[in-house]
Amino acid sequence: MSIIPPYLKPGDTIGITCPAGYMCRPDIQPAMDLLQSWGYRVRVGNTIDAQDYTFAGSDDQRAADLQDMLDDDGINAILFGRGGYGTVRIIDRINFNRFYLKPKWLVGYSDITVLHSHIQTQMHIPTLHAEMCIDLLYGTLDQSALSLQRALTGEKLSYQFAPHPLNRIGQSIGLLVGGNLSLLVSVTGSASELGTYGKILFIEDVDEYLYNIDRMMYTLARAAKLDHLSGLVVGGFTRTKEDETIPFGQTPEEIIADKLKSSGYPVCFGFPAGHQPDNYALKLGMPYRLSAGMDKCTLEEI
Amino acid sequence: MTKIPPALKPGDTIGITCPSSKISGDVAAYAAEVLKSWGLKVRIGKTVGGAWNNFSAPDADRRSDLQDMLDDPEIQAILFGRGGYGMVRILDGLNFKAFAARPKWIAGYSDITTMHIHIYHNYKIASLHSLMCSGIIPETAGGPFVTSLKNALFGMPAIYTFDSNPLNISGDCIGPLVGGNLSLLANLSGTVSCPNMRGKILLLEDTSEYRYVVDRMMYNLKRAGWLEGLAGMIVGSFTDYRDTSTPFGQTEHELIRELVKEEGFPVCFGFPAGHQVENYALKIGVPYQLKVEDTHCHLREKIS
Repeated sequence: MSIIPPYLKPGDTIGITCPAGYMCRPDIQPAMDLLQSWGYRVRVGNTIDAQDYTFAGSDDQRAADLQDMLDDDGINAILFGRGGYGTVRIIDRINFNRFYLKPKWLVGYSDITVLHSHIQTQMHIPTLHAEMCIDLLYGTLDQSALSLQRALTGEKLSYQFAPHPLNRIGQSIGLLVGGNLSLLVSVTGSASELGTYGKILFIEDVDEYLYNIDRMMYTLARAAKLDHLSGLVVGGFTRTKEDETIPFGQTPEEIIADKLKSSGYPVCFGFPAGHQPDNYALKLGMPYRLSAGMDKCTLEEI
Repeated sequence: MTKIPPALKPGDTIGITCPSSKISGDVAAYAAEVLKSWGLKVRIGKTVGGAWNNFSAPDADRRSDLQDMLDDPEIQAILFGRGGYGMVRILDGLNFKAFAARPKWIAGYSDITTMHIHIYHNYKIASLHSLMCSGIIPETAGGPFVTSLKNALFGMPAIYTFDSNPLNISGDCIGPLVGGNLSLLANLSGTVSCPNMRGKILLLEDTSEYRYVVDRMMYNLKRAGWLEGLAGMIVGSFTDYRDTSTPFGQTEHELIRELVKEEGFPVCFGFPAGHQVENYALKIGVPYQLKVEDTHCHLREKIS
């Protein structure tokens, strides 16, 4: 059984850092206001307002900021500013020894998938796939943000969502793992490669060419990542692109369903998470029950 | 040792098939005329001139066209129509038994990288990284790059000399050449087609990719062990690159150099291979000597 990071109590401190793309201070203010309204203190890392082209500072700066927050016992959870690109450039510089002894919740998605996958594979410590500072607004009733709040305070997460014609009916139990498809593929073959045997795999992606989604699904299949799943949960595949003027001929959902033909586990499309307004918190590395029914689907933390 | 398919002789037959995206019949017909002018017979596959969305034909038809040509003893080499996308969709359904018993040259690049690496890794058979029918047009037909394909098919060992690039890392090495399109190589990491690169010379090229994606794929290669113990590296062109609204800040060549500069093997940038007219034929799996010097680089096929 994995070591579950302690859930947050009022007065706990959340650190904000940017391991990938840059963000300026005004852009994290709404998230800070929201976290403070939830009763947390906020510590802003020195990668906020740092910029090196698209990155939030140099690799050294971003690694040091994350390292400090992982090691600092005064920080109870880390919320990433945004994704973008750059986590894989620093992951091998991070020393997880202190984090392994004193785990804390790490919160993010997209490029942060590198951390989710690495920590799941190397340490079996759960992490939070959820909205980041760039998504969080203070003063609006955002169900996705509220799901993050519930996750941080230790509520079990349970979601009901609509069925999709390509779903495969069934029920299963397993640890939920996954994240952004492009990132999962890009860590394949490395020390951060995600093990999926017996797991419920979650995938989402954004801004990808349909042919590339097809190619990446073949990579997962040919790396034996789809053979022995307990279940598959597909989130948003948003803002997909077509090559030139000739259509690929399949939707992302059809592309994914095609790669699963010989497998028997339950499959649900359209889970409300990913690069879209609805991005509900998921505790990766924690056990969930997936139920794909005729009339409804549920994904509930056990 | 890598098995080297026999060189072609006048009167041999070369097959043309499209395992990935579609190509017009006219383009293939022109390439066929050029191949005939070399003294070859040409067999046009049923996928040539066909269309199924962006593919030349449905998976089953593309697979059977390629399978027939791999198996047919009357066909001594296969030249692909073009790349695009689709090889990985049919690769695991191909039966390489007859091909492994009687290897023949298969020639292409880009999406064909998947097949090059798969047959090198699994069957230790050499193949040709070269331009395809789409690259044989009136403007190129008599030129050095189409001629390099002809020379490779007919068994003339290649000696390429090209200008040095300021980013080069000097040195001298010998090793089998393995590689191709970066996107396709990165998609092989962790799969049944992923090769052992120790002692090899890695070839890289790509097109139409975002610079940050090239960086991410290079990190994939590095972290998945592709760069460990390499003898050397040949970096071709990265054409039609894309960038984010905030620029990435490094060219493809610069970000690759940044990642490999401490590795201690020679690296040359700007070798004439990739998605451009300048695309010399290179034999995947065959040993080459690479010399990276101050003003010029030399790549010489080792004759066993």
